[in-house]
Amino acid sequence: MSTHKPATAFIGVLVLAAVTLRSDGQEASRVPMAEHGAASMDYQLAELEKLLPQVDVTAAPAGLDPVVWEAFIPEGNEMTAERVELGKKLYFDKRLSKDSTVSCATCHDVTRAFTDQRRVSEGIAGQLGRRNAPTTMNVALLQTLFLDGRAPTLDHQARLPIVNPIEMGFPDGRAAVQAIAGDSEYQRLFQAAYGRDVNYDDVGRAIGAFERTLVFLDSPFLRFLSGEADAVSTDAQEGWRLFNEKARCVTCHPMNLSNPLGTDNRFHNIGVSARHQDFEALARAGLKALQEDPSERRLEELALGTDMSELGRFMVTKNRSASGAFRTSLLLNIGITPPYMHDGTLETLWDVMDHYNKGGEPNPFLDGGMEPLALIDEEIDQIVAFLFTLTDDRFSEENQRQMSEQEAKAAKSRPFRDDDLAFRQTIAFEERIKQ
Amino acid sequence: MKPRHKSVETKYLEEREEFFRSLRRLDRRSFIKLSTAALGAVAVQGLVPPNSFQPVTLATGPTTQGAGNAFRIAYISDSHLYEKDVNDRFVRALMRAVDDVNALDPQPDFVFYGGDLAQLGQPKELELGAGILKNLKAPLKIMVGEHDWYFDMGEKWRALFGEPTYSWDHKGIHFVTLLSVVETDFWTARGMTPMERMKTVAGLDNSVQSPFSVGEAQREWLRNDLAKYPDDTPVVVFSHSPLYKLYRPWNFWTDDAEEVQALLKRFQNVVVLHGHTHQMLTNRIGNIHFHGFLATAWPWPYAPQGLPELTIEMARPDPFNPQDGCGDGDALVHPDGLVDKVYNFWNRNPVTVARNYTASWGKEGIPPQPNRPSY
Amino acid sequence: MSSNKRKAVIVLAGAVLVGLVFVTIDRTPAGEVQAVTRQETEKEEGQALADSLMAQWKLKNPDRMDDWVAEEKERHTIQPPADNTDVLKGGQGEGHSYGQYTERDLLLWARETEKLVVEGSRIFHDAAALQGTVGVSCDMCHPHAANTHPETYPKFQVQMGRVALLRDMINWCIEQPVRGERLAPDDSRLRALEAYIYAQRKGTELSYGKH
Repeated sequence: MSTHKPATAFIGVLVLAAVTLRSDGQEASRVPMAEHGAASMDYQLAELEKLLPQVDVTAAPAGLDPVVWEAFIPEGNEMTAERVELGKKLYFDKRLSKDSTVSCATCHDVTRAFTDQRRVSEGIAGQLGRRNAPTTMNVALLQTLFLDGRAPTLDHQARLPIVNPIEMGFPDGRAAVQAIAGDSEYQRLFQAAYGRDVNYDDVGRAIGAFERTLVFLDSPFLRFLSGEADAVSTDAQEGWRLFNEKARCVTCHPMNLSNPLGTDNRFHNIGVSARHQDFEALARAGLKALQEDPSERRLEELALGTDMSELGRFMVTKNRSASGAFRTSLLLNIGITPPYMHDGTLETLWDVMDHYNKGGEPNPFLDGGMEPLALIDEEIDQIVAFLFTLTDDRFSEENQRQMSEQEAKAAKSRPFRDDDLAFRQTIAFEERIKQ
Repeated sequence: MKPRHKSVETKYLEEREEFFRSLRRLDRRSFIKLSTAALGAVAVQGLVPPNSFQPVTLATGPTTQGAGNAFRIAYISDSHLYEKDVNDRFVRALMRAVDDVNALDPQPDFVFYGGDLAQLGQPKELELGAGILKNLKAPLKIMVGEHDWYFDMGEKWRALFGEPTYSWDHKGIHFVTLLSVVETDFWTARGMTPMERMKTVAGLDNSVQSPFSVGEAQREWLRNDLAKYPDDTPVVVFSHSPLYKLYRPWNFWTDDAEEVQALLKRFQNVVVLHGHTHQMLTNRIGNIHFHGFLATAWPWPYAPQGLPELTIEMARPDPFNPQDGCGDGDALVHPDGLVDKVYNFWNRNPVTVARNYTASWGKEGIPPQPNRPSY
Repeated sequence: MSSNKRKAVIVLAGAVLVGLVFVTIDRTPAGEVQAVTRQETEKEEGQALADSLMAQWKLKNPDRMDDWVAEEKERHTIQPPADNTDVLKGGQGEGHSYGQYTERDLLLWARETEKLVVEGSRIFHDAAALQGTVGVSCDMCHPHAANTHPETYPKFQVQMGRVALLRDMINWCIEQPVRGERLAPDDSRLRALEAYIYAQRKGTELSYGKH
């Protein structure tokens, strides 16, 4: 027995190292881990302290128009230090999941650009969802939440993953409240923040208030816009010009001083869901179902039995024009929040550019604004260079790392590239319709 | 036994319903603040769930209960094709329309093409269009537009599609197709080449050209064609120009409209389906109900004068999306000849102008108003 | 100088002059300066010279009528500029160096204004003049400049994600729907297009910021 121990111990150390060594190469000993691939909650909190200085939360964050800022704060949830503190505690609290392994910070991890940098997210019992987790950075100015816009405010959105069976798994809000109501600290905080007992609506409000403080706008690009001519490379400047002109990006991704996020808050079918084989059949089935029986039960049956999640906004509004449409992603810090698109299928920003360059994926509900762009390689590189300048300085190291990694991946393969379509040699729909 | 677990979608919808209910409890100031900031269009419209989210049934028109032999026809119109390497956009749009019509289930009885298949009447353009339309599964009936005709005065058209004026009967309805873009000769005196003539006609606001007409020869043909049908025969007329007088400077006009309408006056119900105007248009003159086709190529703005009272304008299109304000559509043809006209806009909800709208002179079945009117 | 020499100088000078005429006004297709002899400088040959110059101009401009303004206006109705006859009335005009106008002044102003607007109309209706690559000209979506709404600028132009003026939108339209090259801010074509659009919307109330 004694002869096995060192070997076992050695193997044990190796295994431990392997298990804790993250795929992003960070040294295991530096980042303590929690479940589902997230960094530990305490570690995240410590990182957050470093990232965000203590400021007066009742004032608009630097870089945001104060009038616009105020207009986005819902009535009854004005910003106070107590509400932000409560929200922070809740955001990192794994007790809000059924098996106490998942908190908001699991999929919106401070150390991973406030998302999880995975294709789709992992919830309780290791269940995988169908959607890529958006970052919680700079969400204060979003007009709807979730990629299909089914939550009208942050406060509303925060309550929903907690009761989603594959995410945090509580059957309803009451059960979630029961999990934390016994904690005297929470009782004190809820009273201080809202003057009420622990309740589910305020859980959402507090988390929303906390998220409104997660503002990360200090990017080289913003400095360039404010007049610092050499804040970004000439390539990136050219990329910004293309963004506004030939590449047609700015219409859905506007970036100005009143709204620096880079999203129009609208929903567009750009063809990503069309790459799923059954999208078109599902879309037509959905439309037909509504034609025959407009009750929600039919749609729910379809939703349970099929992958109707790919229909996006249509499932929320039942508007035909919203088939396969998802909300325009915000562009701030886009360099550090791969993989891209609602299903996380695009791994690099070069893949994203290839997708747009060929005019998206043709399908019967494609947004007509998607056109083949005829961008040459140099122009694509310039636009990507510009996109990487949208990352907050506090994450510049991570940004650099992502840039190299994505560049290496893109150099090896460009799976979404189609020059025939991009340069209008063949036309979308030409496969389906012969001339 | 496990209780039935609610799907994610149902729960979200319930949450939203509760949210809207709670919204109405807010005082006005807070409501405005919330809605302008955080909600977006749906809440601001003040619509009440479940109608906030327009079910597709409304958009596709009433069911055919008690409609007897009602049947569906589809239409595609005004594609203005250039050759593919000159303009890929127009080609892509026509292909999309054909794809749309082929996906209809059940298939329509026939597909009607509303004219202006080519942009400059070039043989290659017409051939391109004919080739694309061949992909249609349902039978095709086709009509001449001015862009198809004035380069070679119909030579290529006849070779590809036959005579431009014809009629047929289908399920008790008498269908007539007219060539209603006849122009009196303005080109010979000016010594114009065929291309110059074509380009003159191709300019909507070009005042050198003459107004459209059906012309005496065709009116004579029409009189004879209709002679054998009793007054209670439902008649549907396909015409490129509107067969009434809307706006002369843009040739939204048929010069001998009154004479043509006089020929149709004795019938109980006449429906005119026309192209050329690239927009949603509705009119009624006596017993004649007029509906316009959408274009696949581009939308026209509304004329500054002369809009029929019954017309509900389509919302002003967004120039970023070259297919906004465009599309295809279909019509449910009832046994009495009146139609439910569906405008199938791309990237917009479809709009139906139901038969009771024109039948009631605009009192019932009013289609939704545009939120972005024309300038 | 002897008379022979003087004659030679005159002939040489005449030859140089005629050669200069050929070189500077218009080249023949061959682009060569003709050698001149003494006979060719005589009056009949001078007429032939003038005729050939006219023929060359007609070759280059086969379709031009005498008045391109009238020709364009025949094709496309254009709103006339404002009626300025009021400036001819009122006693204070008399004896005002800068304020004393005649009817001919009004005609000159109107004519010049019209020319810029008519030039704009020509470009507006011509995909090639716009350097578009898809055969699309402005009038295809904007007959008679309908729906161009210059009275709504400046405004937040959603398609551009920022506040725009009319000329920014003209350039956007040239780049996107027309698929041409943007015009420089001081390009005469941009000024002409702007002039035409304002002219056609004569009488519309200013309403900046209107979506």
